[in-house]
Amino acid sequence: MTNKIYISQGMLVAMIVNIIYVKAIGVTQGTLARAVGQDMWIATLLGILQGAVMIYATYLVVRAMPERDFIGIGEALLGRWFGILIALIFIVFFIAAFGPVMITFVYHLKDYFLPEAPLWMFIVAALLVGSLGCFYGLEVMGRIALVGMAFIFMLNLLITIGSTHEFDIRNLLPVFESGVKRTAAASLHYDADCALAIMLAALVLPIVKDVGKKGSRAAVMGIVVSGISVIMWAILESAVLSADVTSQYTVSCMKLARNAHIGDFLQRYEMIMIALYSLSALFQVMFCIYGTAEGAARLFGLKNNKWTIIPSSIVLGFFGYWVIEDHFRAIDYLEHYWPFIAVPIAFGMPLLMLGLSIMVGKKPDVSAAASK
Amino acid sequence: MRRLAVTFVLFSLMVISTTSCTGVRQINQLAIVAAVGLDLGEKPGTIRLSAQIIRPADARGQTGAPSGGTGQPIYSVSAEGKTIFEAIRNLGRFTSRRVYWAHNFLIVMHEDYARKGINDMVDFFTRNHELRMSTWVAVTPNRPDEVIATITGLEVVPGEAVDRLFSNNHIVGQAPASNMMNLEETHLNATTQSLLARLQLVPRGISNKKPEEHGSIKQVELAGSAAFHDDKMVGWLTTKETRGVLFFLERLDNGIEVVSCPEGDEKISLEFHNARLKVEPFYRQSKPQFNITLKTDADIVESGCNSTLTGKKHEITQKLEQQLKQRVESAVDKAKQYHTDILKLGEIFHNKYPQEWRTLGPRWDTIFSELEPTIQVKASIKSTVVKVMGTKVK
Repeated sequence: MTNKIYISQGMLVAMIVNIIYVKAIGVTQGTLARAVGQDMWIATLLGILQGAVMIYATYLVVRAMPERDFIGIGEALLGRWFGILIALIFIVFFIAAFGPVMITFVYHLKDYFLPEAPLWMFIVAALLVGSLGCFYGLEVMGRIALVGMAFIFMLNLLITIGSTHEFDIRNLLPVFESGVKRTAAASLHYDADCALAIMLAALVLPIVKDVGKKGSRAAVMGIVVSGISVIMWAILESAVLSADVTSQYTVSCMKLARNAHIGDFLQRYEMIMIALYSLSALFQVMFCIYGTAEGAARLFGLKNNKWTIIPSSIVLGFFGYWVIEDHFRAIDYLEHYWPFIAVPIAFGMPLLMLGLSIMVGKKPDVSAAASK
Repeated sequence: MRRLAVTFVLFSLMVISTTSCTGVRQINQLAIVAAVGLDLGEKPGTIRLSAQIIRPADARGQTGAPSGGTGQPIYSVSAEGKTIFEAIRNLGRFTSRRVYWAHNFLIVMHEDYARKGINDMVDFFTRNHELRMSTWVAVTPNRPDEVIATITGLEVVPGEAVDRLFSNNHIVGQAPASNMMNLEETHLNATTQSLLARLQLVPRGISNKKPEEHGSIKQVELAGSAAFHDDKMVGWLTTKETRGVLFFLERLDNGIEVVSCPEGDEKISLEFHNARLKVEPFYRQSKPQFNITLKTDADIVESGCNSTLTGKKHEITQKLEQQLKQRVESAVDKAKQYHTDILKLGEIFHNKYPQEWRTLGPRWDTIFSELEPTIQVKASIKSTVVKVMGTKVK
């Protein structure tokens, strides 16, 4: 990869937080509540730990060749055909990821605010904004993520203030009622959220400043910060709403926002929530377009991804529409297909690359990393 | 130049797609509902839904004084249907505006409707995205359409008046602050059952024009509660029993109790405060047991006793303890009588003994009705407010 732009480590942290947060606080927590009840926050915690380990593994792969992303590293390790295969995997991953991203984006807006608006409108609006962000590149996306992260902190603060008076710690007990094994298995759903961050890191790490020295810290920090931001919701949803109520909703964070209030004056946070998390939601869309377009550009040997943005957006749009057009299909895809696509790819690829690096004998080029 | 053109086209498309015109509803096209009543319909298997709709032109200001309006701040209508949704759609046959639920204050159900089951009601009002979860929910032995149309207190809109009753309910402490949020939680909980507030019409209002006709105006009273088992109402709780339940459910920490004087039949008003109820579960000989302890401080806020209270503190304290114990006992007894765990005892036991719960949980209703919890009350009278002890007796 010969990209000359660089993003700061703060931007990387913000990008990771943004790409995980939006789906994880609501859609994922609803799924976890259905799977393990009040142990949903423990499943989230386990997911955070697994995500941190895997993003560190991703960093280790990139550290060996800090000028290259995963596609470039694949090429360097086993030749061009392997690079093409990796690019293809990125395309498949981000197209598949667009389903849950659209479930999150559209169901928040359509089910709670604009039930009469046609589905295509949400898809088109999201893709237009996403394409524009993608067109301006990673630096712009990184800046959007920074603002998005500030909004996320504000939203977390507001929801905490608006919910604590209903907080009932008894709703969090007993712990591990579903059993350690089942709770660990349920963490797969949060792993699927971390998968997005891992794949983001696999593409973005090479353009992070000082990646060799501080890249690991920024990447792991991203998972930890997003984890803290998400686990707050897991605990609040469980303690305030109860796991029984959380499990009833597709977008359970909106249910919490609907219940929250500060005094009698500031009631119903849905609109505040949408306002504060919209940038993060759009960042997710942007990065799915970026990942698909970048993969396609590398697959076809193009110099940059500008020409693949529109075709990628069209493909993503059709797939996203197909997924969300039927709620039953959407939930089925979200719970029974997406984790089994995301986790093997995002967790398997760094491990495979790491193994290949060791076998092929590529040693970490620390001097190159340090010189960045 | 090309980049500029692309940006312009993209922005134009964005502007078109994000104008928020889709599904727009202007405020003057809405019939804003302030209270809803639910009852069984005249035809078997139907539901009668009554809606109290605010008439904005007449509801403005403090008094609702008409200025070219009808002088009636609310417009109450009812419709029937096989489901709540159908009844609402049937309202549209004669309401000129689209019914809008986001500002609803109250859902009140008739006793008969509640006894038949409220699954449909809980589902409808939580599935509907417009409704706020802080909407109060109550049961009434009167006609719900009459309850929601009765102007009570100082407010112009009856729904708003009942909203204020609920908001200030903690001062009286004789009815639960039941809203959609906690109803949904208990409704879905496998162990804990729902408890909803009781609203009823009482002839307590005094006409300014005919003050001699005391009680000629009906008012809405918030007092007592309705106990549920699963989705069906199983019976009423009196105000005294409800106060006992509130120690469990809402951490009621203050209130007034009236006890008799140490000597004579006169009364003393005691205001208890900082009340804290602790429930400790035990598991002995394959049976769950509970120790319930209520600790509270209290002040003497009124004394009608004919003798000085000096040296009588211990005796008054005992009377208060006895009375509070009766409140808690009556709540437990009534819950046991109805075989319905409205006190969250099962949940407390479950949290401490999750393993044992696996075998006890499925039989909890039976086990609960056979519980013999130990109840202890420890009161401490701390103050006689501004006076030293009691009124001086000649």
